[in-house]
Amino acid sequence: MAEIDRREFLKLVGASAGAAAAAGCSEPVEKLIPYVVQPEEITPGLPVYYASTCRECPAGCGLLVKTREGRPIKLEGNPEHPVNRGALCARGQAAIGRTYHPDRHPGPLRRTGEGSFEAIGWDEAIALLAEQVKQAGSGTWFLSGDPGPTASRWIDRWLAAVGAGGRVVHEPFAPEALRQAASEVFGAAGEPRFDLTDADLVIDFGSDFLETGPSPVAHARQFAASRDVAEGEGRKARFVYVGPRLSMTASNADEWVAGKPGAAGALALAVARAAVDAGAGSAAVREALAGLLGNFAPERVAAQTGVEAETIQRLGRAVARARHAVALPPGPALTGRRARATAAAVLLLNAVSGSVGRGVRVSPAGAGRRASYRETLALIDAMKSGRVKLLLIGDGNPVYSLPTATGFAGALEKVPFVVSFASLADETSARADLILPDHTPLESWGDVVSAPGARSMVQPTLRPLHDTRALVDTLLDTGRALGPAVAARLPSGSFRTLLEQAWSDADWREAVARGGRFEPAPATETVSLAPGAGRIEVAEPLLEGEGDWTLLAVPSPWLYDGRGANLPWLQETPDPVTKIAWQSWAEVSHATAERLGLELGDVVAVETPTGTLEVSVYPRGGIRDDVVAIPIGQGHTVGYWASAAESGRPGEPRGANVLDVLPAATDESGGRAWLAARATLRKTGAHRRLALVQTSQNQRGRLLGEAVPLAALAAGDGHAAEHGGEHDESHGNGHGDAHHELLKPFDASKDADPDSSYRWGMAIDLDRCTGCSACVVACHVENNIPLVGERRSLEGRQMSWLRIERWIGEGSLKGGRTLPVAADPDEAPGVVDVRHAPQLCQHCGAAPCESVCPVLATYHNPEGMNAMIYNRCVGTRYCSNNCPYKVRRFNYYDYSRENWPGLLGLMLNPDVTVRVQGVMEKCTFCTQRVSAARHAATLEGRTIRDGEVTTACAQACPTQAIAFGNLRDEKSRVVEKSHAPARSYHALHELNTRPAITYLAQVKRGRVGEEG
Amino acid sequence: MVGLDRGSRRAFRRALFLLGGGALVVALLLALPEPRPVAAQSSDVARQAQAQAWDEDAPGPKQPIPFSHALHAGTYQIECLYCHTGTDRSPMAGVPSVESCMGCHSQFGADLEGVQILQQYWQEKKPIPWLQIHRLPEHVQFPHHRHVNAGLECQTCHGPVQEMHKLYLTPDTKWWPWLTPARKLEMGWCISCHRENEVTQDCFACHY
Repeated sequence: MAEIDRREFLKLVGASAGAAAAAGCSEPVEKLIPYVVQPEEITPGLPVYYASTCRECPAGCGLLVKTREGRPIKLEGNPEHPVNRGALCARGQAAIGRTYHPDRHPGPLRRTGEGSFEAIGWDEAIALLAEQVKQAGSGTWFLSGDPGPTASRWIDRWLAAVGAGGRVVHEPFAPEALRQAASEVFGAAGEPRFDLTDADLVIDFGSDFLETGPSPVAHARQFAASRDVAEGEGRKARFVYVGPRLSMTASNADEWVAGKPGAAGALALAVARAAVDAGAGSAAVREALAGLLGNFAPERVAAQTGVEAETIQRLGRAVARARHAVALPPGPALTGRRARATAAAVLLLNAVSGSVGRGVRVSPAGAGRRASYRETLALIDAMKSGRVKLLLIGDGNPVYSLPTATGFAGALEKVPFVVSFASLADETSARADLILPDHTPLESWGDVVSAPGARSMVQPTLRPLHDTRALVDTLLDTGRALGPAVAARLPSGSFRTLLEQAWSDADWREAVARGGRFEPAPATETVSLAPGAGRIEVAEPLLEGEGDWTLLAVPSPWLYDGRGANLPWLQETPDPVTKIAWQSWAEVSHATAERLGLELGDVVAVETPTGTLEVSVYPRGGIRDDVVAIPIGQGHTVGYWASAAESGRPGEPRGANVLDVLPAATDESGGRAWLAARATLRKTGAHRRLALVQTSQNQRGRLLGEAVPLAALAAGDGHAAEHGGEHDESHGNGHGDAHHELLKPFDASKDADPDSSYRWGMAIDLDRCTGCSACVVACHVENNIPLVGERRSLEGRQMSWLRIERWIGEGSLKGGRTLPVAADPDEAPGVVDVRHAPQLCQHCGAAPCESVCPVLATYHNPEGMNAMIYNRCVGTRYCSNNCPYKVRRFNYYDYSRENWPGLLGLMLNPDVTVRVQGVMEKCTFCTQRVSAARHAATLEGRTIRDGEVTTACAQACPTQAIAFGNLRDEKSRVVEKSHAPARSYHALHELNTRPAITYLAQVKRGRVGEEG
Repeated sequence: MVGLDRGSRRAFRRALFLLGGGALVVALLLALPEPRPVAAQSSDVARQAQAQAWDEDAPGPKQPIPFSHALHAGTYQIECLYCHTGTDRSPMAGVPSVESCMGCHSQFGADLEGVQILQQYWQEKKPIPWLQIHRLPEHVQFPHHRHVNAGLECQTCHGPVQEMHKLYLTPDTKWWPWLTPARKLEMGWCISCHRENEVTQDCFACHY
């Protein structure tokens, strides 16, 4: 063998192996299936976009549904829609999965026994329902969320035609207390809406408007606009968060005032009082509120709310000085038994600050039925007493989303016949006698009132995948089956024609094409204080139980009220505050943990008068000592991903359902009260490890999430100051001057082929990043990224190409290296210093990963991208070891086979390779989008224009924190954004990796009311 | 691309189609000295082509229909893009829909076995399960429109289809088989062409 060198040997081996393979098998034959009739708008290989509307939450954001060969593959925001203007939140991005979901009902199902169903035909199903309606008569009730104005109207007409009892709308997070408060304070029935665009001071009493508020995307955009430091001195709104827990929204605040739970009303009035004392408010408002505010002297309120009088007075002075201060009332977590008075107090603070009619408007109540918890409870009583003979349940999952203490599940058993219209299996449909599945929103017609002036259209984007039928059509067919008398009272057409009739005042074609009809909001009536406004009764919250801790049931930013739990993209995305994926946890303060001897992950029993829940604890600084917070949304018993079915334990819950231990409490006017119980915590001795995707929040002074003080920014030397002596000292990292010398300036636009027109790059503005993770889910869906599940997340095998790192302060080397996190820098009341930093492949000009790849699977391409070629990769993982940003992901498992059960594979992006086991993957800067733009541009004989191509993450971002583009185009937005000398920096600059991503440091605005 | 104006576009196309069809009929009436029966006997050429498309001994898999590219693209000189529409606009080369085939074959060829099979698919509204001959692995992105617009003949990659009754992956015609640097549709073969034409050889151009 001496004559044969290595290369020759490999050739021979390869040749013989090839021969063996050729003899052993032939390639599997693939089929080319053409259309029978090719739809005219479809050219195979090119996407077609349809405008529609998101139905995940009541905000009603506009969608552009990207379809390929007739299949929706991605949801994007509709740039023309006034609510979301082209952006889309994490929940909206994940919503596409519902259509292809393995939990979908294949067609009409009839219950045959405990948990077993048989498939029946639609004719039989409708005959069955008609028979039941005939028998039940006025004992027929309809329960659902808000199905949209046109559907609502026809459901009501149908219910009247068949002589049914009535309809109840249940929307768990509906701001019922706020609506009541508005009519109490302003005497005008309507819905208060908050606009932050022109605010220069925002005081949030716990609405969590960036995550689960009334319109998170719109509010995030307004919030970012109000704080944009690039727009000069006048646009630097301050943001104070008042509440017992540092939520994601709170982590974006300048200051956190850790008031007791339920203290929002008293605090709002005390701040109003201090503001009035400092000269705020019109004469009329002062006069009307003199009596009320007299009882809320800051000193007195301080004692009962746990907030210092000095802080209250400082906030009051800030309100008085602000041109436009907007206060937001508490969201569900802090909605207690005094919720109406609390919301009224916050509205009064807005009246004092003078923002009523500007940032706070009361839009007239729309026609149609509103969500009502009082009516829901009345319905449950009727069910228990046997007065409900037939219950029709539209969308929504009341068995899960109502507190277990309301006894809804038990009451359901008393109803002789229950019909569910759910398209996906859930706890409610599992208890139904008959399931008549509706289409998913992507298959449906419909309409939504998104905002005043914005009527949005829902249009189908694919033919229904299963044997489903539109809810209204099912009802109409049932009505017709009931005989001519009923049929005469019903329209003859389908729901689609009824919808067209409902839109007869608009150009139907244009409305369908644009996603609705968008007009400027009608001028709202000027509201003034009602005579009784000064007589609201703000008092201490009433809590059940005797425990030492107040139980906060926190709406999950991703799972919302639990409806997101069956979408694996939302489960996989770590919580923005704790960075836990797929699980439930209880947040307690370090003091609480110490008192009970609890460590991270120790299981604690949370006992309320209603029940006991066992859940792992997550000790943190960002929560009051007298509070325990548990997110809503987990603990489902039905659903492939919602329950533990995916891990082979169908019917068992994954995580804990906090609604099991909440009392069925109501506020003064019958709205739902979530803040209603005290809890006792008891150590159980068990330990359940938490799937922490980020285990430390200490960045140890490295350049990952930077911040600059506003004062330094104004002086024009922000970043210089940060990198000067002060910065290095605070690092305490011993590098001293040497560290500083390592920061060599470079021009990222040079790191590409000299002849190339492009060097792709990105600018990420940390001052705009709120941690909302819309980008993370968008990236998952766009790039066919596998979902690893709870077990693999615990193993640290998450596959996301883009993650949002959450750092607290600069950090220091003295912090803990690993868990427990207690040693890490932590949040504390006062000035908030939480930094959300999106971390993705930096497409370095001098990439450490490239030089160590033995097979050249990763390299720098002529356009400056760090390319990853899957078919070259042999899986040595050297690149990942050498990547300082840790953004490369390895396919340890064959996700390509396991990850897309049922029809889910149909939503894969055909332009992106599905990776197989054993290869590395990472962010590609959405190169498939760049390629598509390049094809279009080249065919027209030009280069790609700025704005023609953007990445999925940049497109989804509600605050436009991410800009993507060509660094060689000096007029491009990315170059313009990157050029912020006082704020721009590169992650881990000292390693000289020459990243293509420029970060812009977060701006620290300091304590509110202390600025010059 | 936003918008769904299916109804009006379809109506417009129909109108165009009818107008065009009408014009064609008029033209035919004027051109022909005397009208011929529509269901004419197919030519022997067509018959032979059909037989050869299902020739057991010829290389390549047996397709569900004895469709001869040599007859359509060769004898009748029909442009590739006439049936494979969109190939100049889209990364994907379209396979003609059953409706497209019937566009012509509702008029003639009904006596041929292949057309009868086609008509059966059309009546049952079922797609034809063609067997794929030219297949790239899933980790390869090949933009047809770029190559067509760059002036490449379809035959460069797909072989002389106008001479082939039964389709198969032909060897590269430019090289003697034993001198071919790489097998057709393999990466080395793509790269050699890209090298010759001095166009991108960036891995990321096709692999992502």
